[in-house]
Amino acid sequence: MTATTAASETSSEGRFSATRAFLVRGIVLAIVIAGFMSLGNVNIGAIGQGLGYALAGVCVFLTFRVLGFVDLTVDGAFPIGGAVCAVLIVSGVRAEIAILAAFAAGAGTGLATALIDIIFKIEGLLASIIVITAAYTVNLHIMGGRSNIPLLGEETLISRHSKEFRTWLVEQFGDQMRRQSTNLLEIAIFGAIVIIVLILLYLFMRTEIGLAIRASGKNPQMVRATGLNHNVMIAIGLMLANGLAGVAGSMVVQQFGFADVSLGFGLIVRGLAAVIIGEVLMRPRSVGQLLVAATVGMLVFDISRAWIFSALDLPTTDIQFVSALVVLAALGAPRLYDRWKTYRQRHSGGAQ
Amino acid sequence: MLELERVSVTFNAETANEVRALRDISLSVPDGQFITVIGSNGAGKSTLFNVISGAVEVDRGHIHLDGQDITYQPEHRRSHDIGRVFQDPRLGTCPGLTIRENLSLAAIHGRQAGLRRDVKQAQEAWFIEQLEQQHLGLEQRLDADVALLSGGQRQAITLVMATLIKPKLLLLDEHTAALDPNAAEQVIALTQAQAQAHDLTVIMITHSMQQACLLGDRVIMMNDGQIVFDFSGEERKNLTPADLIARFHSLDSGAELADRQLLG
Repeated sequence: MTATTAASETSSEGRFSATRAFLVRGIVLAIVIAGFMSLGNVNIGAIGQGLGYALAGVCVFLTFRVLGFVDLTVDGAFPIGGAVCAVLIVSGVRAEIAILAAFAAGAGTGLATALIDIIFKIEGLLASIIVITAAYTVNLHIMGGRSNIPLLGEETLISRHSKEFRTWLVEQFGDQMRRQSTNLLEIAIFGAIVIIVLILLYLFMRTEIGLAIRASGKNPQMVRATGLNHNVMIAIGLMLANGLAGVAGSMVVQQFGFADVSLGFGLIVRGLAAVIIGEVLMRPRSVGQLLVAATVGMLVFDISRAWIFSALDLPTTDIQFVSALVVLAALGAPRLYDRWKTYRQRHSGGAQ
Repeated sequence: MLELERVSVTFNAETANEVRALRDISLSVPDGQFITVIGSNGAGKSTLFNVISGAVEVDRGHIHLDGQDITYQPEHRRSHDIGRVFQDPRLGTCPGLTIRENLSLAAIHGRQAGLRRDVKQAQEAWFIEQLEQQHLGLEQRLDADVALLSGGQRQAITLVMATLIKPKLLLLDEHTAALDPNAAEQVIALTQAQAQAHDLTVIMITHSMQQACLLGDRVIMMNDGQIVFDFSGEERKNLTPADLIARFHSLDSGAELADRQLLG
């Protein structure tokens, strides 16, 4: 039983080189993307936007890959997070507090899905459809019956420092930077938020509860057999994931300068694309790498979509169609590649 | 001490597909006893386990473990006292998690999972010690994904997980049936070693008459949701596989013996 299995993949040296390979892939990818952006004339605003949506990608990663089902709740958690954040900011609450509240609101939708799953034994996908349907109305009520709340002139994380940042940037690098100052500020602030959240999440995934959540998605039977309530673990996982979607909603609202009831439309597809793109490009192996890959996937998604827009000179009305195409490419390409590989193997006489 | 008191379970009650999986079963298992359970497919062996572990609710009757009524305790609560190894090697351990992580989940056993780091230094030494006793070399592969291990190795780890914190009762549901003969033999040896070392109370379902006669100190034969034979003491000592097969044929329920039961 043991003789056949050399411990090649397990030594600490092996783990180190796997991490290094992952980092190298990341750096290469960053260079390729940077070159791609400058050649394709893609505005760096796409990076800021990708960072704004990144945590929604992490949410989909947590539900789809860790908990093991397609949870559509993100489509409701995201705009609710945005709405709560916008309402609070308009009423004079600090942006940081508003973001935390958005987390709580998003976690609430996750809890709703979990409770429907646990109490009524309705499977997660269906439960989440029920929740997003109800969430639409809740969302309208949060926004006081309006479908849109502008944040013009309000103090957001971005607008708070935008003046000083612009002055500093122009002083340091000259007047040509003036145009990019908001984009750069977004990248800096959102980048910091995303990195902090990823680190916290990584640490959480390595606690006992984090471990139990990971196991609940893969093998609920085993979780029960070790004496843990797998329903509780799934509920915690759903709350955490959708809380992050709420945070993403609050970030995007501050970026756009308005909250809108339809903000979460098609988000699940976007999140799935981020997860798949990240996995294809980064080939992550550990939990930490998977988290990073989902974030990178979201960035690549936004950048490639922005590129398609500028390359084909499309009007903004076409945005959902282009999104669908990018998602189709991300989901379809690996499958087509696999089929092509089997096809080629079959037609080369079965030999490798 | 496990006690089942007139336990009945009926699936799909009052429909055409009604199955009376357990009929009025009473069973008393003293501490430290090792029971093997045999019976044809559909005899109710697995349902018996599911009822004891809480995966299936009883329709009538009561279950006591160490004097405590656990009849309506949820499955995960009962798991604090009951260790289980399943027939399917994939059920007992979690793929995507390393051996170390699987063992640390098992080590939570009976506590509330918290925000502690998953594996602590002291725990690691304990894990290594447990795995070393198996002589499978798995203690050197703590960071290997469980999905990479063979069925036998996964059963061996499940066995360690189930007994990491001494359970009041260990349920083994044909835990070697899906393994190749070599691995099966190894896992059986491990089972015996663990049972003796920790003085465990064990109930083991098996398809093999040989195993039933070799292991443990009591044999129960089930048929059609009932316990039809119960051998212990002298009677058990003199029991041979041939006797068991003869008893099997004496049942008039038309229960068929699978070939592998006769051969194994």
